[in-house]
Parts: sequence; C-alpha cells; structure tokens
Amino acid sequence: MSTESDGELVAAAIDGNLSAFAALSRRYRDRYTRFVVRMVGSRDEAEDVLQSAFIRAYRALANCRDPGRFGAWLARIVVNESRTYVVRRSRRDRRLVRDVIAIEQIVATTTHDADETLDDVLYAVDQLDADQREAFLLKYVEELSYEEIAEITGVGVSALKMRVKRACARLRELLEEVHDVG
Amino acid sequence: MSDEMRPNDEAFNERIARALRTRERFDDGFEDRLIATLRADHEIEARFRPAARRRGPWWREPVTFRVSPIAGLAAAASIAAIVILGAIAFARPTPVATVAQGVRDTVHVVRFVFVDGRAKSVALVGDFNAWGAKERTPLAVSGPNGRWSATVVMPPGRHEYAFIVDGKRWTADPFAPPRSDEFDTSSSVIVVGD
Repeated sequence: MSTESDGELVAAAIDGNLSAFAALSRRYRDRYTRFVVRMVGSRDEAEDVLQSAFIRAYRALANCRDPGRFGAWLARIVVNESRTYVVRRSRRDRRLVRDVIAIEQIVATTTHDADETLDDVLYAVDQLDADQREAFLLKYVEELSYEEIAEITGVGVSALKMRVKRACARLRELLEEVHDVG
Repeated sequence: MSDEMRPNDEAFNERIARALRTRERFDDGFEDRLIATLRADHEIEARFRPAARRRGPWWREPVTFRVSPIAGLAAAASIAAIVILGAIAFARPTPVATVAQGVRDTVHVVRFVFVDGRAKSVALVGDFNAWGAKERTPLAVSGPNGRWSATVVMPPGRHEYAFIVDGKRWTADPFAPPRSDEFDTSSSVIVVGD
C-alpha cells in the first residue's frame, strides 16, 4: 500500500505517473464499490461504472482544487456517474425485461417470514427513482450524515430528507406488495 | 409531508439497510484494466495531438501538420465517445451494459466487450481493420466469467464488425443491429460519433 499522501499521488498522476493513479484507485475503490453495486444493481455493470468514474477523475485531476481531499472529490464523481448511468439505463427497453425477471425471482425465492430476504430488498431498491435510491443508499447503507450527502450531491439537506423519507415509504410499499404476492 | 422519521420507520429502514451493507469488492485486476485504458488514452493523445501539447496555443507560431486520412477524420469530429458495447455468446441471459460517454474532443474510442465463458481467445474484425486481413484485434480477458474486451480507435461513421472466437468461430454481436452479406454471413453494425 502506498504511503504517499493523496496530494503527492495526485501531483504525480497529473504529471502522467499512472502508477500513482493506480495507488489512488487502490486506496479508494473499495470505499465506493458497495454504493455503485447497490445503485446500479449488477456487479458487471457496476465495475464499468466505477472504471468510468476513475477515468473521468483522471482526466479531470487538474480541476481537483484540494488534492488533500481527493477522496471527497472522487465521491462526487462516483455518485454522479452512477446516477447518470441509472437514469440512462432506465430509459432503455431492457428495463421491462429486467423487472419481469426480477419479479419472477422474487416470487420464487420469497419466504413468508416477517423479515425481508436480500432479494426482496434488492428488488425494491431497484424500483426506486435514481434520486431516491441515491439518497437512501448514502444515508442508510453508507451511513453518511445529511450534511455529507449534501456536499457530495449538491442537493440541499431538506430536499435530501424528503427524498429519503419518500424512498422509505416506497420501499415499505414495495416490500408489502412482495409479501402479499408471496 | 414532514421529513422527519418516526421511530418505527427508523427501525424498518435499519432492517432494510442492514441487508444492503454486505461488503462488495472487485478483484485486484481492476487497476490493471483501468491503467490499460488510461495508457491507451495516452497513446491516442500522443498520436493525434502531439504538437498541440508541446507547443501550446496554435496561433503563437506557425506549425505544419501532416495528418493521415484517419487522423483527419478523427480530428474533424466535435464530440467523442467511449462506447462499451456488449456481446454475449451462448445466449447467456445476463444483460450487458451499453454506455456512451463524452470523453475526448478529437477522437472516438470504442470499447468492445464480449462474454463467453468457454472461449480461449477472442478477436475483433471489421471494416476498420480490413476484416483482419493483416491483423485481427485481440480482446484481452477483462473480468470474471469469460469477460473479454478491447479498446479501438475508430473514425466516425457506420462500421461493420464481428468477433472470431478461438480463431475460427465467426460470431455477430447479438445486441447490435445485424447485417448479412451476399453469402449470408452475419456481422454487426455500429455507428460511431452520432
């Protein structure tokens, strides 16, 4: 593991040192992988999205005003890239097919316990709008404060609270539907 | 609608979130793939814009450029894209991402992804490499479950291509518009730059 500071690695990467950028990737990618996988809903697609986010970050390194806070700057790029991907994908026809498959899987795997299975939860999260999904994941899965989420997304705290509340209401509704089906 | 949560809502949210907090991690080849893409990008940069990088603004001094036809086409492009183009063999049901991103203002870079868990080699042929007459473009293993990819610099326009698996099996891309030639050989079509 590299011992250089983020600032030193960013400076070296700007000079074209790809190993320095690889060190930054190794330092931060695990931190964001879970968010991207949950946001996108597929590991294969999530890897493409995370790769794209790092490529975008590399090309924009000169715009990183505070290299010492590279991680926070990168978080904004990762979150943006994930949201953009999800919004674009939702416009594609394939969505319908995915949902049919997902519903069939849920019906096949749902238990009748009060607790939700992971499949139930993944299915329900996948049904949320990109904005609501992003806010819910950052708040409850990544366990960030609303102030931290506001800094990453550029959305105000009250709007974020509303998104999270609506996301939770929708999740409850979806999971109740799944149990009714089961 | 108040934006505050009630205690039983918090308990519900926590239960949902707990299921989603399982750690996720990509394999250690992640950086290899990332750096390979960035290195290809550097090479493209060096190939297409060396003078601009070294000399600064073009109006400062007279510069004579020698530009190949392909470079000329690429330089004429105003928008560039990386297209991750998915192809799955053996009718695997998993959908593959098709992502387009603006990344470069002078050239078009297309990333071809092919998934075949049993392939020992995969190559790309198309009108952009004379259908492999001199050299096929090899795809490299880029992920688990038989995932192969190659990044190719392409001039804008309509192109036809196909994959050759294990050196002999001709395979069109099932997720791209098809085209058959006069001998009923199927290939695929990609439009770059639109």
